[in-house]
Amino acid sequence: LASVNAQIKRGSAELAVLTLLAEHPLHGYEIAKQIEAQTGGVLRFDMASLYPMLHRLERKSWVKAEWQTLPNGRRRRCYRLTASGRKQIAPLRAQWRAFFQALQSVTGFRNA
Amino acid sequence: MHDWKQIVRKCLRVLGVCSPEFTEELAGHLEDNYEASLRGGMPPEAAFHRTVAQIDRRSQICLTVWIVQEVLMTDFARKVGLPGLLTFALAMAAAIAIDMAHIHPSFLLGNRFSASLPVAWLCLLPFCGAAGTLVSHWTGSSRLQRIAACLFPSVIMAAVVLIISVTGFAISRFVPDSGWYWALAVPGLALQLTAQAMVTAVPLLLGAVAGEQMSRTR
Repeated sequence: LASVNAQIKRGSAELAVLTLLAEHPLHGYEIAKQIEAQTGGVLRFDMASLYPMLHRLERKSWVKAEWQTLPNGRRRRCYRLTASGRKQIAPLRAQWRAFFQALQSVTGFRNA
Repeated sequence: MHDWKQIVRKCLRVLGVCSPEFTEELAGHLEDNYEASLRGGMPPEAAFHRTVAQIDRRSQICLTVWIVQEVLMTDFARKVGLPGLLTFALAMAAAIAIDMAHIHPSFLLGNRFSASLPVAWLCLLPFCGAAGTLVSHWTGSSRLQRIAACLFPSVIMAAVVLIISVTGFAISRFVPDSGWYWALAVPGLALQLTAQAMVTAVPLLLGAVAGEQMSRTR
């Protein structure tokens, strides 16, 4: 994965986050942990990549962030998917499908 | 209890100049991470070191660059201001280069006007406009923002002429025998202001059109 270029990394990360947020709102740490858990540790976010991406998605109005007070009294910035963000998921999935198909046609590689 | 906000601020000094909410968000992330490590059975000291290690040198640099880019710079600065300044800098560099190379293909507008057209420089302006448009395009700007960025040199030059005019008028009003005369200066400077803006705007806009085409084909 280290050799995968930044554009692809960014695109895959955005799709993963949008798909996750389509289920329910989450804050940054939960997003990172859930993606790590669901991908068996293959996709991992550190703070330096997660928060810039979340803020970028927010600027595009694909997600909306708001502060919530948790039962333990702590404040966390929760991200939820907007209608505009929801619309992005299908085209992004289509792009990735096309990408994997193209890769498959060249290398014989099969995605799961 | 660790003061995670303080730790984040210490690691990322640039946070001192941006929203405190961002500090709180990062501190919350570290706090959750620390507590998850404790729940996982890690000793407090090891959990603390593991958590703090998340803001290593690489992360500090990445976050600092991002904060400077995204938080300190407004959308206008990134999409219009910087590409506009680049266009202006290129235009000025072109003017200086032409001057240093002693290339002066210019012609007088007429016997009654002392102004002349710097043809060589005007021929280079489309390249400056195209560069500004392309840079603005890379920042995800709208078409209007790209046009504003490429017209930046015209706006700056018009502003400079306007400032000179206002200063000149003020001098002619309050300093006797200054050599500035309202009746003569007003139409002349108005003409110069309009001409300066228009004459430079046309080649810059031509460059912007070329830049738009290039960005579409890339």
